[in-house]
Amino acid sequence: MNGPIIKCEQLGKRFGKLEVLRSVDLTIPQGAIVGLLGSNGSGKSTLIKCLLGLLRISSGTASVLDENPWDLSAAGKNRLGYVPQVVHLYPWMKVQQVVDYTSAFYERWDFKWTLEVMQMLEVDGSKWIKTLSTGQLQRLAIILAFGHRPDLLVLDEPAASLDPGGRRALMRSLLEMNRDQGQTVLFSTHITSDLERVASHVAILGNGLVEYFGEIDELKESVKRIRIQSDQDLPTQFTIPGILHSNVTGSTAVVSLAKCSDSLISDIEKQWSATVTVEDLNLEEIFLEMSDV
Amino acid sequence: MSISPSFFQVNPSSGVPIFRQIIDQVKALVAAGKLRSGDMLPSTRDVAKTLEVNMMTVSKAYSRLESDGVAERVRGLGMRICAVPISGAVAERKQKFKEIVSPAIHHARQLGLTDDQVLAVVNKILKDNV
Repeated sequence: MNGPIIKCEQLGKRFGKLEVLRSVDLTIPQGAIVGLLGSNGSGKSTLIKCLLGLLRISSGTASVLDENPWDLSAAGKNRLGYVPQVVHLYPWMKVQQVVDYTSAFYERWDFKWTLEVMQMLEVDGSKWIKTLSTGQLQRLAIILAFGHRPDLLVLDEPAASLDPGGRRALMRSLLEMNRDQGQTVLFSTHITSDLERVASHVAILGNGLVEYFGEIDELKESVKRIRIQSDQDLPTQFTIPGILHSNVTGSTAVVSLAKCSDSLISDIEKQWSATVTVEDLNLEEIFLEMSDV
Repeated sequence: MSISPSFFQVNPSSGVPIFRQIIDQVKALVAAGKLRSGDMLPSTRDVAKTLEVNMMTVSKAYSRLESDGVAERVRGLGMRICAVPISGAVAERKQKFKEIVSPAIHHARQLGLTDDQVLAVVNKILKDNV
């Protein structure tokens, strides 16, 4: 299959009068590991639920694994794995029982791989579900979503209640599946350092739409903070293309740019007879610069 | 010879994209003589596994190294370091070398070395690096 794994166009979702998603356009190619970023309440979970058919979209179109998510076939569900933000499991069962029970729903459950992931995430099959902590429940949810080696794995803040060791193990197993079978991953997170290591692409959700989607490397190469030191006073309002934020004090200015390039820098140097230094930003800084705050 | 993937070190949270960090390190290893023409780079898979980064990131670094003429893709074998091409006029290359050496000379003076002592050191390095 060479078409996109996920494709939505002008996807909208409203709850009564509240419009959470206005017009989401997103095309995720096969084999991509996409980190979904967005501030609290930006609609990350809503988008994920729309893509999985857990919520019905209000407008626009969505296609997941070439199917309408609201109408996913059993075959489609067999190719899908989902780790929800809040995990609800059967408290009266033991871990291994839940794993066996879940495996029965899938045609191609991989028991050997499941055991590997259980060891990697250090989950003990003999424990009662009701005794598990939030983090341990999340680990188990990951195992249940991984076991059938889905072609598409969707995780809603999988790292939220994991300790650093658990996060590392999760990222390692995501990378392993992606390497071995070109599996596509979409995961929302606030922990940008996880994303920097693992993701190939980043989608930034804000104002009800995808404000940025692209390769993480391209984002890091194009968003820069520059320091302008001129021999004259600079205007308080700059007109530089793609300006995100600026802070001018007299003849110096600190400006963040969405699309920094050598030619843009030399233009600025010429226009203001200034020296410009360019600063690289990590993903967290980029996310903050691109948010409205 | 081929180098081990653990030769590379990346800092994912730096502002420099990971693929660029890998490119810079390969170039630095070549410049330091630790990688020579004919040496093989570890496979993208091994590097991705060792560094725990996305395999596409490593592929991208290798593709750039190829287009920069630092390494070449050998079918069935992987990436091989190319012979460093000599380009530019002699005067230009001399100028480049001067820029690298000048700070070193400055340091040598600070260390209180005489010109003869500096030359002796340089001659020794030249002899060792044939």
